[in-house]
Amino acid sequence: MTPKTAISHAILATATFSVMVAMAPAPAAAADVICRANYEFCVEVNGAYPPDARFFVAETRGKFLVDIPSQSKSVLIDLPTRRAVSVPRDSIKPDGADGKVRVADPGGAGAPAYALSIEGPVLRFQADASKVRILKVTERAAQVGPVTIEALAADRPEYREGMKAYKPDPVAIEALKKNKKPIEIEAFFGTWCPHCKIYMPKFLRVIQDAGNPTIKLTLVGVPKNWGDDKTPGPWQGKNFQNVPAIMIRYEGRELTRMSAHEGAVPEVDLATLLSAIK
Amino acid sequence: MTGTAATGPAIGSVPAGDGSTGRRRALTRLGHAARIALGAVFLAAGALKIVDVAEFARQTASYGLIGPRLAAVIAPGLIALEIALAAALLAGCHVRVAAIVTGLLLAFFIALEGWGIMQGRIESCGCFGAYVQRTPQEVILEDLLFTALAVMVVVFLGAWEPRRHRLAASAVAAATVATLGLAIASPRLPIDPWVTSLAVGRTVEELGLAARLPAEVQAGGLVAILDLADPASKDAAAALNELAATPGLPRVLALTPSTEAEHAAFLWQAYPAFDLLTADRPLLKRLYRRLPLYFLVRSGRVEAIYPGPRPPTADLLSSKAS
Repeated sequence: MTPKTAISHAILATATFSVMVAMAPAPAAAADVICRANYEFCVEVNGAYPPDARFFVAETRGKFLVDIPSQSKSVLIDLPTRRAVSVPRDSIKPDGADGKVRVADPGGAGAPAYALSIEGPVLRFQADASKVRILKVTERAAQVGPVTIEALAADRPEYREGMKAYKPDPVAIEALKKNKKPIEIEAFFGTWCPHCKIYMPKFLRVIQDAGNPTIKLTLVGVPKNWGDDKTPGPWQGKNFQNVPAIMIRYEGRELTRMSAHEGAVPEVDLATLLSAIK
Repeated sequence: MTGTAATGPAIGSVPAGDGSTGRRRALTRLGHAARIALGAVFLAAGALKIVDVAEFARQTASYGLIGPRLAAVIAPGLIALEIALAAALLAGCHVRVAAIVTGLLLAFFIALEGWGIMQGRIESCGCFGAYVQRTPQEVILEDLLFTALAVMVVVFLGAWEPRRHRLAASAVAAATVATLGLAIASPRLPIDPWVTSLAVGRTVEELGLAARLPAEVQAGGLVAILDLADPASKDAAAALNELAATPGLPRVLALTPSTEAEHAAFLWQAYPAFDLLTADRPLLKRLYRRLPLYFLVRSGRVEAIYPGPRPPTADLLSSKAS
């Protein structure tokens, strides 16, 4: 082979290779993952609960997103492969007005990945120095003692979001706004109680929307063992067997207790009770 | 009352020292009234439990003293014992023995409920079946009243026996055997439409689910009720995943009476492709005897009911094709 022939072969080979490379399919980018927030679970980081931490369930089966903006940490969980992959925070964008987010190109090359472990109802992984646990909100340490609506909503996303989502009956709210009778309400509830998680955000939204200073609410979180005589607190001597227990007082005496069953409509129940007071 | 068995009145008999026959008769009548009342209570308790033996077994196991398998064996036996005692009291067969055993059983139930309260238990005992809900405190009060009836039977009726003793004994034996057979066969008996509130044509409001089911599901959706503690729920979830992933089918949603911890553990293990919501057990319990159970909702009404173990995949796919 002459040098000229060798050069032309080399040029041909290079050109062929370039064409093949150009025609080869690009590495498939991972499909975007759409996630919606889930307030049944909470995110624990090193034993604390960052107020802005959120847990999302992906529309893609088996995928979940943990987003903690204050710690610049976002992790996409893939249960089938038992892996948690770090995703850049700027790849998480709102998707529509219903609180969904879109995670663009999750699990890109070089993204740090962490092993997952499942311990019964708890999902656990360690991301760098952070020990992260995903658990049911009812399994979190209970809110115990008096608390304001604002403090509760700030600390417990399931209450905050439940309050936001509830749409009280405007006629009943209007009636509550007009109330002039001085009413004291004592509401005992448990953040560990699944039933309270459904009912109490509705009730608190009603009190908030009524915004009537004649309706004074004392909100008290009870521990799981409130019925135990060894657990002192404002719940002692109140004679209730179940939570939530909502007591209506007028002129210093207890008039009645509100029904807090699952289908109850608190604003209508409360407006009816107040209208019955002579 | 003093004296020995040889010289004084027999234990349990009505004292006749004052010679008042009228008083003695009145007390005997009171004893019979207590016997019949106690027998009727135990008959009702046993009969109501037969309707849903599996739920009674679950409630028995929920005290934590025995496991679910042993509870599944003990539950029919306990129902048969209650019916046997009821039959003995009502038929007047060995009344004193029956009343003493009934009293001891009630004392055991009271102790069990007391222990349950100390453990923070608030769930109903299932003493009158799955569809009667009472707090442990109410159960204790009731049982104390029934114990008083048992004491009245022992004290006022003494060694009273009916004239046709053999017939009474035969009735007790027949009732016991029949109850045991019914209790064992109960889960397979087609009695769901009579004992649950789930029926074709019922609205979601009537079922108490209006607040739980999203509007989209109320408009048209397949609702599954799953017991997450049951290993069969994983197979059901796999089949529901297929349905949830098939375009054009109604939205799939599952409700479960399981605990929050069971819900979370199931989610991590089965990662269902459909929404899975926990709901109060008393709310859901009115809808089923056995799980899994599926029902189709259209325009807020139950259109079809499909008892488990698998969802109606073929039905839904064929309705889609047609």
